[in-house]
This record gives sequence, C-alpha cells and structure tokens, in this order.
Amino acid sequence: MAASILVVDRVTKRFSGHTAVDGLSLDVPPGVIFGLLGPNGAGKTTTIRMIMNITIPDEGSVRLFNGTGTARDHADRIGFLPEERGLYPKMRVLDVLLFLAEMRGMDRRTARSRALEWLDRLGLSDWRSRRVSELSKGMQQKVQFASSLLHDPDLVIFDEPFSGLDPVNAEVMRETVLDLRRRGKTILFSTQIMEHAEKLCDHICIIARGKKLVDDSLTQVKESYSGRHLIVAFDGSQGGAAAVFADRRLVAGLQDFGAYAEVELAQGADAQDVLKSLVSSGARLSRFELAAPSLHTIFVGLVGPDAARPGAVTHA
Amino acid sequence: MRKILAVVRREFVERVRTKWFWIGTVLGPLFFGGMILVRLLNGEHSGVERRVAVIDQTTGGTGARLVDGLSASLERFHFVRVPTSPRAVDSLTNVVIAKDLDGFLLVSDSTLDDGSVEYRGSNVSSLADMEELRSTLGRQVFAVRLERHGIDPAVVRDAELTVAMATHKIRGTKVTGESGEQAFTLSFAMAIILFLAIVLYGVNVMSSVLEEKTTRIVEVLVSSLRPFELMLGKVLGAGAVGIVQLTVWLLSVKVLAGQQERLAAWVGVDHTGAQAPALVLPQVPATTMAVFVVYFLLGYFLYAAVFAAVGAISGTEQEARQAQTPVTLLLMVPYLSVFAILNDPNSISARWFTFVPFWSPVAAPVRWSAAPIPPAELATSILILLLSVLLVTWVAARIYRVGILMTGKRPSAREIIRWVRAG
Repeated sequence: MAASILVVDRVTKRFSGHTAVDGLSLDVPPGVIFGLLGPNGAGKTTTIRMIMNITIPDEGSVRLFNGTGTARDHADRIGFLPEERGLYPKMRVLDVLLFLAEMRGMDRRTARSRALEWLDRLGLSDWRSRRVSELSKGMQQKVQFASSLLHDPDLVIFDEPFSGLDPVNAEVMRETVLDLRRRGKTILFSTQIMEHAEKLCDHICIIARGKKLVDDSLTQVKESYSGRHLIVAFDGSQGGAAAVFADRRLVAGLQDFGAYAEVELAQGADAQDVLKSLVSSGARLSRFELAAPSLHTIFVGLVGPDAARPGAVTHA
Repeated sequence: MRKILAVVRREFVERVRTKWFWIGTVLGPLFFGGMILVRLLNGEHSGVERRVAVIDQTTGGTGARLVDGLSASLERFHFVRVPTSPRAVDSLTNVVIAKDLDGFLLVSDSTLDDGSVEYRGSNVSSLADMEELRSTLGRQVFAVRLERHGIDPAVVRDAELTVAMATHKIRGTKVTGESGEQAFTLSFAMAIILFLAIVLYGVNVMSSVLEEKTTRIVEVLVSSLRPFELMLGKVLGAGAVGIVQLTVWLLSVKVLAGQQERLAAWVGVDHTGAQAPALVLPQVPATTMAVFVVYFLLGYFLYAAVFAAVGAISGTEQEARQAQTPVTLLLMVPYLSVFAILNDPNSISARWFTFVPFWSPVAAPVRWSAAPIPPAELATSILILLLSVLLVTWVAARIYRVGILMTGKRPSAREIIRWVRAG
C-alpha cells in the first residue's frame, strides 16, 4: 500500500467544557475519496480545522504528504473548502479567484487562465466581472469550489461540500469530485448526508462525540452489515405489519422511508419468520428482499436515531 | 513574500476601487478650494461700506469732534451724528433691524473720562469691523484728551501713526520669509493631516480585518499564509492607499494655491494689483517635511497594528466602532494640545508629548514646526516610537492571530492577555 497522504494521529481538542475531538486517528491513502461522517457536533469541522492547521490540537499530531510541515507549508498542494463559506462580497468574481490562487502560491498569469477555465466549466463565465454579492448562494458556492481547486491540488479537503446546493449543482460537484479521483487526487470530505457518501466514498469514517465508530472501506462496512437487513414494501394494506415490526424477537430496528421500509433483524431471528408473520397478519407485500443496508441505516444504527438527519422518519 | 505582496495589492486595488476613496480624494481639494474662496470673499467683505450712527450724549461738542475724526480716518465707514434723545436708542434699533443702518455708537462724556463706549449693531461678530472701530475711536479719544491738556491739535495729528507689524519666523540661524500666521497655519494643518490620516487609514485596516473575519474567508487565508504576514500585508496595503491620497491632497493644495487669481476672477472678486493672495502657502523646509513623513509612517504603523487587533477581537461593525473609540481618543490628546505646544514648544509638557509613543506622531512634528527639537531629543523620540511600533505590532499580531479565528462574544481583557502570553 502506498504511503498515506494524510495521517491524523490520536488528536484531541478540548474547548471550555467539552471535548470536541477525542483521540481520533485517521489514515488517508492516496487516490481515494474519504468520507468523514457524523452527526452535528460530532467533531468533523474541528478535525478538519486541525488538519488545516487553523486550530492546533491539544494532543496528537497531523502529518501531511508523509513528511513534516503543516497544511500552510503545503498550501500549494492542498485545496480547502471550509464549512462556513466566505468570499469577499465586494470583490469581482475573477479577482477573488486570482487572489485566492495567489494565496496558494500560483502566479497571476497561470491563475487567470485556470480561473477562466473553471468559470466556464461551472457555467459562470458571464459573471466573472460581477461582484460576489450579486451572485446567488449556489453560484457563490461554485466560485468557492473553483477557488479550492484552481491550483490543481493533490489533496482536497471539503467541509460539507453539498450543503445548500440544489440537485443540479450537487451533481456538478459530484462529477468534479469523481473526476479528481480519476486524476489520482485524494479527496477528504465531511458530510452528514449519507446518500452523498454512499455514492462517492471509497472509504468512510463515522465519528460521534469526537470518537471514531467505524473506519473502513465502504464495501467492507456494507458487507459486515449485510444479511441482517430486509427491504419491505407494501401493496395497499399493511395489515398487522406494525405489530410484527414491534416484535422485538424478530425486528431490532426499522427505517420507514415511506415507499419502503428497511428492517433490521433481531439477533438470531430468521427472515422467513418475519415473512410468515407479515403474510399471516394480512399485509399485502410488493417487495420483500434481503439486502445490504443503506449507509443511512448503518449510520442511524450506530449513532442513534436522534442524530439522523432531519427528514428520515424513524421508529424504534 | 509573494503572498504578502498579493495581500498588499488586493488591499490597495480594492480600496482604490471604492467610491469612498474617490469621494475622499476629491473632497480634500474641494475643502481646500473652499477655504481659499472663503478667504477671498472675506477679504472683499472687509472692504464693504458700513453706515454707523453716533448717538452723542457728550457735552461741550466733543461728540461732533469725535465723529469728524472718525469720518476722516475710516473711509469705508459713514458716520452720522445723532443728538441724544430719550427715544434715540429705540428708533435707531429699528433702523438697524430694517437694515438701513449697520449699527450705532453710544458716545458720552465717560468715553473721554474712562474710555467706555457702547456699540450696538448687526455686524458685531465681524472682528475686523469691531477692531477697526475700536482702535480708531481710541486714537480720536486720545487726541481729544491731549487737546484738553493744551496740546496743539496739529501736533497731535502729526503724532498719529498706525503701526503695521510684520512677523517673521526665526528658525535655526536664519530669518525665514514665514509670517507668524503662516507658521501657525502650517503647524495646525500638519496636526489635522496627521490625526485624520492615521485614524482614517487605521480604521481602514480594522474594517478590512473585520470583513475577512465575519465572512470567514480568513480560514482559507491562514491555511495559506501566516497570520502575521496577512496582517502585515493589510497594514502596508492600506498605508499605500493613504500615501497616494495624501500626495493627491498635497499636490492639489499646491496647484490651487497657485491659481488663486483665477479663483478670485471666477467668483467675481477683484483681486488684482498690489494685494497679496488670500492664502500664502507656508514654506515647508525639507527637514520639516522629513520629520513629518517619518512620524506619519511610524505613527501609522503603530496605530494600524492596534486597529488590526481591535478588528480581530470584534465580531461586528458595531462592536468594532465601540472598541476603536478609546484608540481614537488616545490620538486625540496630542491633537487637542496643539495650541499648548505651539505656545511654548520647549515647555515640559511639550517635551513629554514628544516622548510618549502614542502621542509623538502628532505632537513631535507640530513641535518641530514651531521650534527645532534638539537632535538628541528628536533621536530619542524616534527611537522610543520605533521600539513601540515593534512591541505593539508583536502584541497586536498575537491578539490578531487568535482573534480572527474566534467566533461568538468579544473576548475579555483577561483572555486577550492570555493570547498574548501564549507562545
């Protein structure tokens, strides 16, 4: 295995009253998309800030590109998109991009041609002489996105890159991230939206309350949870399904997505028994299959339903 | 280094692009042009004719004698003698209200006995009018009193002479062409420019720091360059804007002062011939200019660092405005002491002002313009200021480094001290 691009070694960060990150270690190999997942307040942003040398860890260390030096020393090789995105509101779009590229060590000429390329690619060419404040939030986010990639970094760190994006723009970003990996770049991003992580990540790390819960490749994670989950959909009458799902001997957990439900089997329970019970309760089934659980289900199972993102209805 | 230059360039270009820069740059010359115009118009104003009545309460015809004397010596005043009557004051007051008269004098015997006299009129706030009237009347009273003692009126008239005193400043070993008024104008203008420029451009640094902090763009920046480099770039960039603006202002002053004749013609004031221009620019010796520049630069760096720290500990514009007030007041102290320093440039207090680092940027050039500061004192003053700049920048950079990444409420003084001490 190639030497890691980013190693976070047992870092701890305490703020007055609470520990935001507690002895967390990460190991990011080159060329992967690494998802840092966790509910609100899990310590994702604090971890990223420590990686970027914006906050200094109380304990532990961060090693980049297998050598010494902080993120600032490697500024020309790292792209960074912070959580609370900000650009100079009064500056013109192109000027902001040029300035931020200069901060990353580029010369203005190269920066200029790259910036124009990126604006074109993101459909913002007509906006390059406008002030940032005249752009919509989504457009500003795209500008920021471009600014973090302008210098063609080897390691890209995105904090919640998809928050606040409409589906079209989210797709543009997704394509860009995949394209970066194709070109051998390493991407670390944080998110609390599991669907994005599931579609993109090679490797995930789920953290909660500053501690690591899962750290493995996505396929490994899903495999270790497979065979214990059912997907159930009804065709009209649900009969006595609610009572069956409430039976703790058969069902350990339930994620009701409306159109279908994901059922986590209880320890030692047999999927066939669940099927029998459902049929005899009078439910009409349109779908009943053993499936690998969605990342969302795994996530909720790990960090608890309270931490699930809003929108998912959960029944214990 | 290249990154610092990029910060300097951004700071400069963005600031110059704002409308406030242009408004400020144009406002300076307009202000100065306005000042010249006011003086031109005032100059003409002093030639305006005045109609003044004299209520004669004297006995024995001295009133008429005074009125004759006044009329003979004050050409632009027309005097009319009015014999006293119970209703004279009231009716003349009405004439003044109707603007048919500028005012009236109440002359009585006591005017000749103890010099008391009363003037009522609409032009009492014109210092030139009042001074002319008072001094001319004084000479007439003086003459009448001499005549009372039997001096020949012809001798008295012959003895009358108005003294015109020209003031010339002695600087070092030579007499300069500078008049007292010019010297004062120069000192005062320097104080205004130093105070305004340091506060104005210092506050620019503060708002720029605050913008990066509130937009959180500072997180991207400090992951690319050291906070100190960022702060340095900002201070230099805003300072460069200041130097450009100051240069424009000073050049415009020079150009406008050379165009006073045209200005006069433009506003329709007859301003040709032997009369001197309304505003004579004081000659600024090269040494004074050098002292001015040195103190401006050091003073700017000193205050800009403080303003940067103030911006870093504030969360909003409003908080920043509150927090900057004490800083501005600190610089206000020497500004308000300009008169005292000019009055006695070598007094103990003037010397103190030269040494205290937060005051010397304004006080020392003002003192220098009034009287040369002994070389040892000047060197000490500059050295103290220079060391203060280094120390204050060091402290400010430590506050800045932590402050710009802080969110939430403003830190307490104790917290700030901890930031400074933390390695």
